[in-house]
Amino acid sequence: MSTDTPPRFIHYLGAFAAGGLITLMLLTNGTLAQYGTLLFSSWVPHFTGTLVALAILLTLRPARASQKPPPKWAYLAGVSGGLTVIATSAAMNSALALSGTIALGLAGQILFSLFADAKGLFGLPKRRPTLRDLLGLALIAAGAIVLIFWCNAT
Amino acid sequence: MTLFIILAIGAGGLVGLSRQLNGRLALSTNAWESSFWNHIVGLVFVSLIAVIAAGLFTDAPLDAPWWAYLGGPIGVLFIAAGSWAIARIGAAQTAMLIIAGQMISGVILDIGLLTQGQLWARDLGISLILLGIWVTRSQK
Repeated sequence: MSTDTPPRFIHYLGAFAAGGLITLMLLTNGTLAQYGTLLFSSWVPHFTGTLVALAILLTLRPARASQKPPPKWAYLAGVSGGLTVIATSAAMNSALALSGTIALGLAGQILFSLFADAKGLFGLPKRRPTLRDLLGLALIAAGAIVLIFWCNAT
Repeated sequence: MTLFIILAIGAGGLVGLSRQLNGRLALSTNAWESSFWNHIVGLVFVSLIAVIAAGLFTDAPLDAPWWAYLGGPIGVLFIAAGSWAIARIGAAQTAMLIIAGQMISGVILDIGLLTQGQLWARDLGISLILLGIWVTRSQK
């Protein structure tokens, strides 16, 4: 399966900007976790997010891209997201601490994404990274490691 | 310790898995709908865990500042953006740019909040990340 749209600058910019949203979420959800439990800090954004997403769907009424219904398993991303919270909080409270957990998490995310691209996992387009892709990935990972361990970046 | 290392790496893998599934859902529907399902299914799942673990409403969550409750709407936009990007530039490039954006905005926030950090590390880290983006982008 593939899409009609070739990669454009706007797609790269969108993904980069999404990374900025994580920083904002770490701030909001991290603050919530100081006042309630960690589970609470995950439950609240899921609850308000559901309401906001529903409001967006009802207002914009975006068309479905395909007549064919999506496979049932494609609806399960939320479970994976919930499990992430549990696995992360368990690791964070071990000797790994926050920085170790984040660094290993980034490694897991990068390895999974390379594997997913190579296999075209779950019906997304198959892709082979070029040497430059891998070099870029390594440089960004190295930069992230420096920031995580020596600059308290999260 | 090995268990925690596996858990931490696995957590990152789950982030990728989640984005892959959301991206697939968006291919048949659209990015907003995939974000909606991600949130409502996640809400049910987290609620179930809360019932089992019985630890949702302790302490004094209502004392939190109002803006701490804005994570939900931001998350809706985040999931929609990821679902939209992954089908167009692939999982690895999406992950890479999200990580880059997270790191650079994190440093900007630290500067804004006047957080103490190692200046050499900040400069080196940001330089490596910008170089990484440039290396990948310049081939197009």
